[in-house]
Amino acid sequence: MIIQTVRESAAMVVSLSGRLDTVTAPDYEKKFDELISREEINFVVDFDKLEYISSAGLRVILATSRRIKGKNGKIHLANISGNVKEVFEMSGFAGIFPVYGTVAEALKMITG
Amino acid sequence: MIKIEHLSKNFGSLSVLRDISVEIKEGEVISIIGPSGAGKSTFLRCINLLDRPSSGSILIKGINILDPKIDVAKVRQKMNMVFQAFNLFAHISVLENLTIAPMKLLGKSRESAEKKAHELLNLVGLSDKAGSYPDELSGGQKQRVAIARCLAMEPEVILFDEPTSALDPTMINEVLSVIRRLARQGLTMLIVTHELDFAKDVSSRVFYLDEGGIYEDGTPRQIFENPQKEKTKAFIKKQESFYQHIVSSNYDLYALIAEVDCFCSRLMVNVQSRKNLMVLIEEVLQLFRKSTLSFPLDMTVNYEEKTEMLELLFEAPPGSVNPMLTESGDNGSALPAIESRLQSQEYRQLGGRNRLSLYLKKP
Repeated sequence: MIIQTVRESAAMVVSLSGRLDTVTAPDYEKKFDELISREEINFVVDFDKLEYISSAGLRVILATSRRIKGKNGKIHLANISGNVKEVFEMSGFAGIFPVYGTVAEALKMITG
Repeated sequence: MIKIEHLSKNFGSLSVLRDISVEIKEGEVISIIGPSGAGKSTFLRCINLLDRPSSGSILIKGINILDPKIDVAKVRQKMNMVFQAFNLFAHISVLENLTIAPMKLLGKSRESAEKKAHELLNLVGLSDKAGSYPDELSGGQKQRVAIARCLAMEPEVILFDEPTSALDPTMINEVLSVIRRLARQGLTMLIVTHELDFAKDVSSRVFYLDEGGIYEDGTPRQIFENPQKEKTKAFIKKQESFYQHIVSSNYDLYALIAEVDCFCSRLMVNVQSRKNLMVLIEEVLQLFRKSTLSFPLDMTVNYEEKTEMLELLFEAPPGSVNPMLTESGDNGSALPAIESRLQSQEYRQLGGRNRLSLYLKKP
């Protein structure tokens, strides 16, 4: 999995590509640890190029989100489609997180 | 009628048949089935002495045909063989193919041999081909002539060595229907075949050959509907398996799923089923990882070509628990991803191992 980050004025945009699974979930966790340690608390996670997510991926998103919430921050999800969307819907994740059609929509929502 | 005791056959250092003992009664129609290379044809050729057994004895009506004093040609007259490649004499007519041996070896007159030949050609549905030459016949017709030629020697036993495997599918039935007719007449027959439906239908007994011997012996009902041993089951169900021994929880997931994908690709497993299988492998292994008692773990993927059924089987050591029960239904649980892909699941203890069988939904 490749993780790219771009600092926008409203939030840190984290773009994922490839697979978020048992093997790569620790990479996701590590990246967020690093960002949180830099006092980042608002995030938009872009799933546009993510091909596959397993329950290990869902768990790491949930665990990271709880930590961010503990710092009064929030995680927003964008561009969830295809197989990844199916997994989100099946697991009930779609109702836990704010989900947006695009990164721009998510950023607009954060800015208010 | 035929009593085989401790029959073994080696080709150099290669042991093909090992210590086979079996008795065949008069009038039995025995189909010999099994994977390629199991020694089916070698077994038949040993009985006919076309390949001399390395050890053991073959008694026909009490006479050991491996006795060096035995006249092998006489043995072969009693036990004639039909080959995969017909082996007709191409330079003489069909009628002559049927009469030459009875005249030369049985001392029959031409008139008597020809009368019998015409009867036999009628039996195999080729009464109008007496004057034809083998090259003028189709594959199915050639094999029917070969069967008639075999019968012309009035054998007590007929050995068929894959009689339809050199034929086009359209010609297989015409040969099988002739063999069926012979079976109804009470001839003792041993038939090496890959035509499982035919074997099920025509035989009074079936030998499944594997591991150098008669791995399982039973009636067609027992062998085809209720096979008792693992390899017979796999063969009958046309089951292919992929096996992986997973030593510890530090397994290489990507290497594992790449190998499973390669296995599925070779068998042309449906793409959606493949994706579902990969998800299940990852998710279930994650559940097993929660307990160190789960390892070493054996993982097998079984695919039944006939029914397209995919089974993912895990065998964990004694003391391990059913991983499906260790997972709560909380957010992030693997259960929805697993259960939505399953048709059924079964957990049981067998031979000291804990077996979790997961049967995938068909797409």
